[in-house]
Amino acid sequence: MRVGSKDRRERLWWAVGGVLVITYALVPVAWLVSLSLKPAQDLGDKRFLPRQVTLEHYATIFQDSQFASALWNSAGIAAISTLAALLLGAGAAYAIVRLQFSGRRLMLAAALAVAMFPPVSIIGPLFNMWRSLGLYDTWAGLVLPYMTFTLPLAIWTLAAFFREIPWDLEKAARVDGASPLQAFVHVILPLAAPGVFTAGILVFMFAWNDFLFAISLTSTNDARTVPAAIAFFTGSSLFELPTGAIAAASVVVTLPVILVVLLFQRRIVAGLTSGAIKG
Amino acid sequence: MASIELRSVVKRYPGTTAVKETSLAIADGEFFILVGPSGCGKSTLLNMIVGLDEVSGGEILVDGKVVNDLDPKERNMAMVFQSYAIYPHMTVRENMAFPLKLARLPQEEIATRVEQAAEILELGGLLERKPGALSGGQRQRVAMGRAIVRDPDVFLLDEPLSNLDAKLRTQMRTELARLQRRLGTTTVYVTHDQTEAMTLGDRIAVLRHGEIQQVGTPRQLYEHPANLFVAGFIGSPAMNFLPGRWSEGRLQLPLGAIELPPEQVGPSLPTDNPLVVGFRPEHLRPASGEGSNTGALDFTARIEVLEWMGAELFVYFDVEWSGYTGFILPQELETDSKDTGRRVMVARIDPACGLKEGDTLHLRLAAAHLQVFDAASGANLRPEIG
Repeated sequence: MRVGSKDRRERLWWAVGGVLVITYALVPVAWLVSLSLKPAQDLGDKRFLPRQVTLEHYATIFQDSQFASALWNSAGIAAISTLAALLLGAGAAYAIVRLQFSGRRLMLAAALAVAMFPPVSIIGPLFNMWRSLGLYDTWAGLVLPYMTFTLPLAIWTLAAFFREIPWDLEKAARVDGASPLQAFVHVILPLAAPGVFTAGILVFMFAWNDFLFAISLTSTNDARTVPAAIAFFTGSSLFELPTGAIAAASVVVTLPVILVVLLFQRRIVAGLTSGAIKG
Repeated sequence: MASIELRSVVKRYPGTTAVKETSLAIADGEFFILVGPSGCGKSTLLNMIVGLDEVSGGEILVDGKVVNDLDPKERNMAMVFQSYAIYPHMTVRENMAFPLKLARLPQEEIATRVEQAAEILELGGLLERKPGALSGGQRQRVAMGRAIVRDPDVFLLDEPLSNLDAKLRTQMRTELARLQRRLGTTTVYVTHDQTEAMTLGDRIAVLRHGEIQQVGTPRQLYEHPANLFVAGFIGSPAMNFLPGRWSEGRLQLPLGAIELPPEQVGPSLPTDNPLVVGFRPEHLRPASGEGSNTGALDFTARIEVLEWMGAELFVYFDVEWSGYTGFILPQELETDSKDTGRRVMVARIDPACGLKEGDTLHLRLAAAHLQVFDAASGANLRPEIG
């Protein structure tokens, strides 16, 4: 009995704690959704639930060609950055884990140092360099820094996963007639899938959410991503604050991230349980 | 089908030599065993044959052709790993089909071959399972299956049974031997277990410190070990060792002196040099009385421990000595390799004799079965008989 009541009390506290954390995390999001659904004249009514629900802000942003191209830029740049970082990261991590060469530790430490580097400190020089190199306001101009800043994370995550894979599996694949690349693609990569997804999510979110690089290194619809584009929103008239439109745009850009995380999260869990790595 | 030849093969790592100059010839269809304690270089040797490790020197020939620079996939050898190394994300069928897919065989052919292999290994009902849902013995079979579907020139097995429990290991050992006879494929088998080596191999190479100690049939290794290490490594329970000295035409042992028949003495045994004398547990026989005569030494022993195995009885007794020097055995054979002046001997006796612990037992040691080693070099000084 005693154990049971203690158990129940413990569960209660866990539930309370969980609710608190979720509330704390989700209230701003809910507020944003609420704002995006209120008609323009109600925006300042200080009510949590909108008195009247309207989709006019959503209509506004999608009529704006700037937002559509920003969405396209965001998706494209984030996707390319993610793919490139994973491709390079997987190669680098695999080499670091599997090959005996001097300076492996140094490489990992250096990679970490890159990740620690404050992006703000390189924005100025980067702006000048990109302008003279012609990378300013292009996709490549954003993909490069995103990749650079997320690669260390990808390498560390993937290296941790590769380390868990028994080397015998790779040897077995080689003896079975696989080239080193085939062994990597058919045997190692599928087993490291959870790691690949984890790294992928992290890189994607960094690129998708970034504001600093996006605002500094773009100037037109050619490469401006959503977070930067939102800052350039104007109201329907000169004297109107575009609060509703900004809220609607924010909701729209949050959705893909949530979707991606939920989708990949299932893959991560599935990957971890079906791995069964034991000879 | 293929024969394998190693010519002065060497493997060096920075700072160490894992395999010293090794030359071997393995005949087509032979079941060849590489045996030795851990770290003796046997797995390295295997990895060099299959091409996972590069050789630092020498040549490896398969059917007379040098394969040093061939990639593993060009050598058409199949390997079974100690960890089985079956792919956890593939079903049993996919695991076995993997090498065939890489070889770009047509779908129907792959299906037939996998079915055949599954039948041979009794894996029929398990083809759609993932390795996670298999027992240790079944995983072992899958690893074997993946090796045999390819119909390779050579099988390489790296301690394939060491992760199984004792009963299953004995069973799989028999199956493995049968499978090899049936397929007739040249097989190189690495193990640290001398029982596996003795029961499976057509021929055995004993390795120590990256160096081959002796190559021969199980019988040759057992009856005429080339040195102390082989003598102590092969056989279970291990050979008994005592210090000895050759003087006045007799072999002086802590148990007494014994005359050796002339054909066993060889050219001459070195006087004064410390010797190590070995004899196997089954070569001690109960004797009726005391006293020595030519060709045999009778002595009494007080039984310390009895191990009754059903069909045989192991009798352990102590022998003490003083005045002998240089009695040191190879490290791998001994937990305590120092000259302590006391050793436990074991005799294999017919269990029908009704002995108890603490009893005194008359034993006879026949000179014909004695092995005499030079204590310093470990070399067997007795000429090979027969």
